[in-house]
Amino acid sequence: GMAGSAEPQPEALRPAMPDPAVLSVLLALLAVAVTFLLWRFVQGRRSRRNAVLLLGLCDAGKTLLFARLLTGRYRDTQTSITDSSAVYRVSKDKSANVTLIDLPGHESLRLQFLERFKAAARAIVFVVDSAAFQREVKDVAEFLYQVLVDSSVLRNAPALLIACNKQDVTMAKSAKLIQQQLEKELNTLRVTRSAAPTSLDGSASGGPAQLGKKGKDFDFSQLPMKVEFVECSARGSKGEEGDADFEDLEKWLAKIA
Amino acid sequence: MLDFFTIFSKGGLVLWCFQGVRGPAATAPVNALIRSVLLQERGGSNSFTHEALTLKYKLDNQFELVFVVGFQKILTLTYVDKLIDDVHKEFRDKYRNEFQQKGTLGLLNSTFDFKDDFMRLLREAEESSKARAPTVMKTFEQSQKSQKTVKCMIETRGEKPKEKVKTKKNKGSKKEGTEAVVAAGKASAGDKQPSAAGEKEELTKDEILQKNREEFFKRHMKAGEKSRSPKPEAQKEKGKKPRVWDLGNSNAKVLDYSNSATNGSVEASPVEEFDPDIALGDRNREPGRLYDLEYDSDDEAEEEVIQSPLKSSVKKGGLGGMFGMLKGLVGSKSLTREDMDPILEKMKDHLIAKNVAAEIAVQLCESVAKKLEGKVMGTFTTVTSTVKQALQEALVQILQPQRRVDVLRDVMDAQRHHRPYVVTFCGVNGVGKSTNLAKISFWLIENGFSVLIAACDTFRAGAVEQLRTHTRRLNALHPPESHGGRTMVQLYEKGYGKDAAGIAMEAISYGRGKAGGGRCCARVASCLMLPPCPARNQGFDVVLVDTAGRMQDNAPLMTALAKLIAVNAPDLVLFVGEALVGNEAVDQLVKFNKALADHSMAQTPRLIDGIILTKFDTIDDKVGAAISMTYITSKPIVFVGTGQTYCDLRSLNAKAVVAALMKA
Repeated sequence: GMAGSAEPQPEALRPAMPDPAVLSVLLALLAVAVTFLLWRFVQGRRSRRNAVLLLGLCDAGKTLLFARLLTGRYRDTQTSITDSSAVYRVSKDKSANVTLIDLPGHESLRLQFLERFKAAARAIVFVVDSAAFQREVKDVAEFLYQVLVDSSVLRNAPALLIACNKQDVTMAKSAKLIQQQLEKELNTLRVTRSAAPTSLDGSASGGPAQLGKKGKDFDFSQLPMKVEFVECSARGSKGEEGDADFEDLEKWLAKIA
Repeated sequence: MLDFFTIFSKGGLVLWCFQGVRGPAATAPVNALIRSVLLQERGGSNSFTHEALTLKYKLDNQFELVFVVGFQKILTLTYVDKLIDDVHKEFRDKYRNEFQQKGTLGLLNSTFDFKDDFMRLLREAEESSKARAPTVMKTFEQSQKSQKTVKCMIETRGEKPKEKVKTKKNKGSKKEGTEAVVAAGKASAGDKQPSAAGEKEELTKDEILQKNREEFFKRHMKAGEKSRSPKPEAQKEKGKKPRVWDLGNSNAKVLDYSNSATNGSVEASPVEEFDPDIALGDRNREPGRLYDLEYDSDDEAEEEVIQSPLKSSVKKGGLGGMFGMLKGLVGSKSLTREDMDPILEKMKDHLIAKNVAAEIAVQLCESVAKKLEGKVMGTFTTVTSTVKQALQEALVQILQPQRRVDVLRDVMDAQRHHRPYVVTFCGVNGVGKSTNLAKISFWLIENGFSVLIAACDTFRAGAVEQLRTHTRRLNALHPPESHGGRTMVQLYEKGYGKDAAGIAMEAISYGRGKAGGGRCCARVASCLMLPPCPARNQGFDVVLVDTAGRMQDNAPLMTALAKLIAVNAPDLVLFVGEALVGNEAVDQLVKFNKALADHSMAQTPRLIDGIILTKFDTIDDKVGAAISMTYITSKPIVFVGTGQTYCDLRSLNAKAVVAALMKA
């Protein structure tokens, strides 16, 4: 009677609840989505910022340095108009790899390529032509300033190495002298660049980004990233036949890898 | 015959090089080629001259290679184009594996042993050019002329061949060497039908004579009539009378038509009937108010027009079109000229609509096409997006300054050497030189530099007064008290009508601080004592020289400007151009630069160093003038003027300008 009529009711109620098959399918999809996102996130984290950028003015020796680091041999070079990248084994025993990226130094291209690769930069090697430094100090400082006030560079704070190249030339300036001159020049540039007229769409050119500490003279130690100066020579003292002279550079690369 | 042939990757590594017998190192000319042509988007034509060499080049966009050949400018080698194409094909096929699989490391590690293949191709190319021997002249027997006469002889003796022969003989008879021709004709035909030829000749001669006689008589008749008609004219001419003008010989009194009674006296002049309604126009207007221009924007119409052709091209084609489009989206498809041409056409029209000069838009599109030809597109990228991306990159590249743009830094440098920094403003009439000069002096004063304005516009009425008003205003805004007692702005003027170059020179030496009043302790002209010295005035940090506006075609004025710049050697020569200018910008800049280069005595003449783009607030997004100007001169845009108040001075933002240009 009554008990009999009560029993079919729970059975009738069950189809109103979501079918366990559907529920399990939904759960499975959710699990797949979560794993996918996690995987993407982890991979992104790992592959992001594994690049070492070679920056510098035109004719600083970036492409030759690139070739020497990767193969050890001398190659003739021309002005680069596009980037080159390759994987570099930091040392024979360590299995760490970094991606070396050689960017063109010409004025019309350098900022475009920097935009493209700055997010992936773990370290920056800024190559300076030590022999022509006296003549080019303002241009070197301007490019360095543009790199240093870039918002993603300030955020990520990649390690910075200033490689004073072409030390095989007799008139080449030492790294210490280059450091002093750059600090003086960047000190002046801080003032003049922030006083420049605002750009057309209203965004100030390097306005909010203040380099170093206000009130004090600019010093490379005031920057959020580690800055080092090394001397090197991509051509090498023995010319095209011999090896390049850049142990300090290789050691630094091994350190940051 | 070649000086060198290099193959290098776009990343900068030289893959293979061939040095000719007497050729110098190939690096410097090739670098010049890269910097002037490839990086400045002048890749339309494929040849370039550098000193004594002509360089021809070819891009391989699939594997990112550049092939360059250099030879002496005075030689004209016809086989070079073919040689480059052959070498390109052979090199690419031989080392395809290295490029595709190993990437950059492959380029670095492999040696490219191409010498033998290259020598073979060079030999083939040289031989093919020599193969075409100079053409030997045909003998008379081979020519068509003799064959015609023979044929005519052989064919029927109807009217047609006779006429042909007659016309041939007629033509022959007119020239001097006719008899030779006739004789030759006779001789060639001679064996076949000598009698017929002879008869025909006589007949034709008689007929000619007859005809001529008839014509002669006809003409004689006409001549007779004609000779009569000139006679009465001649008779008339004999009696030559002086022409009499009405009232000619009478004196001025007769010619004076002014009413002597009314001239000068106001009351006597009749009051004209004038209708104030017609003169004034609208009766209901408020007195003194200036109404706005009424217009309606048709931007939406433009967008629709541009979008619809794109849509129609997508819908076109039935199943085959669909399949082709899908194939184009996925997988590696290399770009061909035909794919790119319609899109480049559209982009060219779009650029021209945005006020880029027409020839520059054409050259830009050519250069982008050369850069993209043969490139392999990635998956899910359409041809349109690739072309647009490439064009955008090219435009940003053009707008990036090729040299440092930091006026304040250079002023500080000049300050350290105790000399003023001299800036000269030049341009055509009415572009805003004086206005922007005032804006720049305001900006410099805000940064603590004192400015001397040299009024070298001695022609235009009110130019000096305009600058004096600006000086007064600026001094009111920045009084000497707030800057340690020194006047921040001063005007150096010598009135109107004087020589502009002389005024500029005096202004610069005044700005340097020499020639003050008072006694000089050392009495040395080149004394570099600083301001506390009583013999000098304070000296100024910057001297801004304002010149008169002049049209680029006006040769004497261009010479005067060139002289001013050559004599005074300013630190910065700024060309002021308005953003409203269209195709005219190209002409202006080319002629200004040419005038400055022609009239300069120095080895490296001072050309325009920078551009000021004015009236930027008057164009909405038709910002093409910026591209035209930087493309022509490859000099940066230093300032942008966006209004007429002192604060309306901006610096150029390349990305914003390109975004405005590419916006549909």
